[in-house]
Amino acid sequence: MTLEREAPVPTAEPDDVFRARLREFFTAHHPGRPPKDPRERLAWTKAWLATLFDHGYAGPSWPREFGGMELSFAHQVIYHEEAARARVPGPLGTGLNIAAPTIIKYGTQEQKQRWLAPMLRGDTVWAQGYSEPEAGSDLPSLRTTARRESDEYVVNGQKVWTSHAGDADIFFALVRTGTRESRQKGITYLVIDAHAPGVQVRPLRDLTGGHLFAEVFFDDVRVPVANRIGEENDGWRLARTSLGHERAAGALNQAAMYRRVLTELEELARERGQLADPLVRDRFVDLEIRVRLIRYNAERTIGGILARGDAGAASSISRLLITAFEQDIHEFAVDLLGPAGLLGKSAPQAVQRSRWLVGFLRTRASTIGAGTTEIQLNTVAEQVLGLPHDPGMPPR
Amino acid sequence: MSAGDSAERGELRQVVREFLSERSPSQEVRRLMAAGESRDAQVWSLLAEQLGLTGIAVPERYGGAGYGPVELGIVLEEMGGALLVAPYFATVALAGQTLAASGDEVAMACWLPRIADGSLTATLAVAEDSGSWDLAEVAATAQPAGHGWAVTGTKLFVIDGHTADLLLVVAHAPDGPGLFAVERGAVGVESARLDTLDLTRALASVTLNGTPAVRVGGDRDAAEWLSQARDLVLAALAAEQLGGAARCLDMAVGYAKVREQFGRPIGSFQAIKHKCANMLLEVECGRSAVYHASEALAGRQPDAPLAAALAYTYCSRAFTHAAKECIQIHGGIGYTWEHDAHLYLRRAKSSELLFGPPARQRTRLAELAGI
Repeated sequence: MTLEREAPVPTAEPDDVFRARLREFFTAHHPGRPPKDPRERLAWTKAWLATLFDHGYAGPSWPREFGGMELSFAHQVIYHEEAARARVPGPLGTGLNIAAPTIIKYGTQEQKQRWLAPMLRGDTVWAQGYSEPEAGSDLPSLRTTARRESDEYVVNGQKVWTSHAGDADIFFALVRTGTRESRQKGITYLVIDAHAPGVQVRPLRDLTGGHLFAEVFFDDVRVPVANRIGEENDGWRLARTSLGHERAAGALNQAAMYRRVLTELEELARERGQLADPLVRDRFVDLEIRVRLIRYNAERTIGGILARGDAGAASSISRLLITAFEQDIHEFAVDLLGPAGLLGKSAPQAVQRSRWLVGFLRTRASTIGAGTTEIQLNTVAEQVLGLPHDPGMPPR
Repeated sequence: MSAGDSAERGELRQVVREFLSERSPSQEVRRLMAAGESRDAQVWSLLAEQLGLTGIAVPERYGGAGYGPVELGIVLEEMGGALLVAPYFATVALAGQTLAASGDEVAMACWLPRIADGSLTATLAVAEDSGSWDLAEVAATAQPAGHGWAVTGTKLFVIDGHTADLLLVVAHAPDGPGLFAVERGAVGVESARLDTLDLTRALASVTLNGTPAVRVGGDRDAAEWLSQARDLVLAALAAEQLGGAARCLDMAVGYAKVREQFGRPIGSFQAIKHKCANMLLEVECGRSAVYHASEALAGRQPDAPLAAALAYTYCSRAFTHAAKECIQIHGGIGYTWEHDAHLYLRRAKSSELLFGPPARQRTRLAELAGI
């Protein structure tokens, strides 16, 4: 709740009026269908983000001072509902969700002025530099170094699993400024110009065969000290910042999206005459229960925030529920199709352009990225249930 | 706004929890269990008269508090956590809600005030040999006899059926299925407690042989309102299961924090942490399902039957899983008679099978969801 201002701008706009205004805006300015070509698609998304910003419809959770809407949580929920309903493009890069809250809370006034509005408007694309080949779940062991030389840092090292790296203008990165053994206490939060000399981006081919992620190499990259957020060696604490409960505001949309996917799979099974099989039906019952639980959890989390400002325990486990669901529904779909489930996109007999097979492969990442399931279970056990930390592991 | 979240509801939960921790601790549960008692008379009168819990879901005009499935769910969640030995579920959740669903003014005026004040215990008898609650599998019959009816048949798995003052019996009349009220001591009733798994909740057989009965529900199509009653009952049992599952998680986590092996608390091992975190996931999903169902029922939402069936199906598995994991995490001590873990396993498995095999529940859920 750190950025909820003491006295928010008196926007006593009733929910239905706000909703109608949003709906009208999204309809009037809708950018149409996304272009196929990746470069055109990038331009298309940027144009939409600029439209939102220029009309005051960007950054629902952001302070107005930086071009945001500074909405109440209830209105943020409505915003996400209407955006999903209108099927308008989402944010570009990971800056808006991950870097911006840290900058808003811990950045200097100069940094906020310099970075926030261009990020929100889509003029600059931000990508994350956290994970490294030797620092995945154990992120505090990261090795990319930043050596101070007068008013600059000299950065050397390698980041991996960076999405949108090819389009990025800026990397927000965690780098080591302390000793090798300093772990969390020697990490600094740096904002690095992606076009600076010594930065090299190499697309990483993932197991799907695609190139959604990249490796980023830093070779004596010079970064002004003015690009450091917070104090030196204090970056770890700043990295996990969010604006109030902004992340929960879109939970209902996510639930609705999974509902749609399951309904589509049911339709497919019905068309193929497979719903008569009791074993198939039972698998559908299982998924039906889970897809509804995703929604019930989202409703309970949002209800708790609205009523008490507390997301409650349901929010801590929702990601575990969702990631397993994503994997299971795609694998079940592939199983349902039998050998036809093995057909790739370019096979003329491919079912629904091979979406289920692609999903089966793609969702391997669901239980790895942003914290593996195993690490999340540890976190829930320790932080929600209060179980003791493993004495064989370094302290948190 | 979710069920069980408002300040008033939080207060209800707190009052019931404190009452049960004082009046129904483990040694009391075990005392009643060993003696084969259906309740402690003093505890029953306190929870009826002092706390008004027997009347919580009874309409105000019949002497109740006029609340609904949400508040009843909170009470049952706490009772499930404490494994209270009392005919509360049978009387309030089964019989009370069924009578209220019948819309039968005469029947409600006759029995609901006595359920509300705790002077009458009651139960609902549906299942027979097959254990199923499907009306199609009911063989008991009712024939007109004088001003009333005469019911014949054998009911099984009747919760507290050997002690209830009032039996609500589902039987087929010549014009279709109906509900028939039989008072304790009526001619031709024989009942006996069955030897079953759950030692804290008795199941009985009830045989009726031309037993005089009153028809409940008048001319209304019984199949319709009985199915409403079934939704209410499923949601109520799911709430109780949720309370049991949450208690199993608490017990397991509490033990994992203090039990040391290899020189450290076992809760510091990932294998144990992951078990506990997964139990939490199931408990929290169960909570979402139960609160959604009770709100849907209270608001008479179209998805209420599905929500109730979902809550029951999910909580059935979650509770049984939590009870098994609770034993596993306790290790040897969890396998002893003296430890309470098995009492929860018994309640969990019993609740899971009470209305028929789980596969049947899932089939019904598929039908409700249009799969």
